[in-house]
Amino acid sequence: MSEVVHNGYKSGSNLERVLVAGHFAVTGELGPPKNHDANVIRRKAELLKGCVDAVNITDNQTAIVRMSSIAAGVILIQEGMDPVIQMTCRDRNRLGMQSDLLGAAALGIKNVLCLTGDHQSFGNHPTAKNVHDLDSIQLVRMVKDMRDDDRFQCGEEIPGGGPRFFIGAAANPFGDPFEFRPYRLAKKVAAGADFIQTQLIYDIPRFREFMKRVVDMGLHEKVFILAGVGPLKSVGMAKYMRDQVPGMIVADEYIERMEAAVKHIDKTDKKARAEAWQQEGIRICIEQIQQIREIEGVAGIHMMAIEWEEAIRPIVEGAGLLPRPAIQ
Amino acid sequence: MTDWQPQIIAFCCRHCAYAAADLAGGLRLTYPPTVKIVEVPCTGRVDMSHILRSFEDGADGVLVAG
Amino acid sequence: MIVGEQKPLAEIKQMLAGFHKVLLVGCGTCVTVCMAGGEKEVGILASALRMSTRLDGNAIECDEVTVQRQCEWEYIDPLGSRLANYDVVLSLACGIGVQTLVQRFPNVWVVPGLNTTFLGMPPEQGVWEERCQACGDCILDKTGGICPIARCSKQLLNGPCGGSQKGVCEVNPQTPCAWQLIYDRMSAMGRLEQLLEIQPPKNWSAARHGGPRRIIRDDLRLPEDYRTA
Repeated sequence: MSEVVHNGYKSGSNLERVLVAGHFAVTGELGPPKNHDANVIRRKAELLKGCVDAVNITDNQTAIVRMSSIAAGVILIQEGMDPVIQMTCRDRNRLGMQSDLLGAAALGIKNVLCLTGDHQSFGNHPTAKNVHDLDSIQLVRMVKDMRDDDRFQCGEEIPGGGPRFFIGAAANPFGDPFEFRPYRLAKKVAAGADFIQTQLIYDIPRFREFMKRVVDMGLHEKVFILAGVGPLKSVGMAKYMRDQVPGMIVADEYIERMEAAVKHIDKTDKKARAEAWQQEGIRICIEQIQQIREIEGVAGIHMMAIEWEEAIRPIVEGAGLLPRPAIQ
Repeated sequence: MTDWQPQIIAFCCRHCAYAAADLAGGLRLTYPPTVKIVEVPCTGRVDMSHILRSFEDGADGVLVAG
Repeated sequence: MIVGEQKPLAEIKQMLAGFHKVLLVGCGTCVTVCMAGGEKEVGILASALRMSTRLDGNAIECDEVTVQRQCEWEYIDPLGSRLANYDVVLSLACGIGVQTLVQRFPNVWVVPGLNTTFLGMPPEQGVWEERCQACGDCILDKTGGICPIARCSKQLLNGPCGGSQKGVCEVNPQTPCAWQLIYDRMSAMGRLEQLLEIQPPKNWSAARHGGPRRIIRDDLRLPEDYRTA
């Protein structure tokens, strides 16, 4: 509201402060539970505490009903963390989204990631009607107009001023048409994105090529780009991601390394195999972060350890990214 | 039951199968009287509705020959 | 054209349960060319219904008629005198035809034999694809003549989502990604820069979201005394 002093920040979230101060930022992803158990959020938050600058809360990820990202975000604030609430265009129209944004801001949430959303046919309510009143770029613009012009999407003034969010958007450097991807990113920046979190990267050369185009276009100077990384947990998971997840490329090199990790372990010793895979997955992830840090224009990483939040600390530590900066 | 003979509707092309049936007649070859021949200008004219109609009206089998 | 698909026989029989005399009414326009509800399909369905209900032991009498266009008064008016002879009408037109019959003949029970599926065309014989959502505010000039409202699973207006890979939509590998098609065409036509413009939120009030739509053309309307409907 109007009495808040902005100190030149857009929202003043921890994530924004870390990025503006020039630190290599680390965000992590937290998937809320499929029930109303607040302790699940607290337990997962404990694993991320001190390892990340902000925590993304997914919004009915893969179109499966889960606890609301805003509600889970509030629990994170209670735990002293900085949530990034994800908001998809699949489940709400512009009225619902603006109303939720006002509510989120009132509850102290300062970051929002604007997404199109996975199609409902992938989730647990495939017969649902989707909304897509706005697309993700239009959502970014709407959040920006609320913040910078104090206006609702319809143009009406927001009495007392609009909610202030640090606005994020996603980018998939591996989707097609590949040549259009940097331009789509440019559109998101033009719409008002402050930071970008990318799809999981398992093909560094292709990401490097993407970033070169982004840097050539000067986009890295207008937006903070956080590269999406996550540890592979097994050969099966790596292959599943490569073959089944739309818009995902997994380089053969990683699959071969995961295979090699269990070569000398007896097939029946499942526990030893799982451990070897996990160690190799974490090792690969650390190496990837080191490679990604060398790429011009990357401002940080976004860790997605899906249902394996325990891996985040060893990875962030192994990559030399601890302790996280404390900025007042 | 042994005397039972299926009712067959045979859709025959004027240019081949029907001509063959004609020739068979000329040669005094016999076929069961339960086979009813319907001459068509071309078997391409035979439609699903003709076949269904045949069954509906009591045919046990339909032969399309051309 | 309006594309429709016949309902399964079992569902049609369920709708007709308890009736003894049914008139199947086909339509000679869209659903004839998409081979779902024309004269031929009416004949086949009537035959199938007669045989199937006879085998079930409660034979339904099925008569057939197909009108040129079931969505206009002048073509359905001649049916009026016949309808009193039937317990129920099974319309093989699109949903518009069914409702036109209902509005004209309010005392007749009319049930649909088709699912009206979409506005589309046959890219090859035996295949129909959706092309238009009748959103009431055409944007084909902005997207190279390929409609993302009808052909993108998420109706995106500013480019492909992250799920577009190798030219196909993540939702169904049989569906080409509309934005890949748009990108390819704009690229071939030298108009890529047009795709860099941010398309603002769409005015959905022109689409169905503004409530049922109506067009009134006073230049075409008859003077009040001459209006038939």
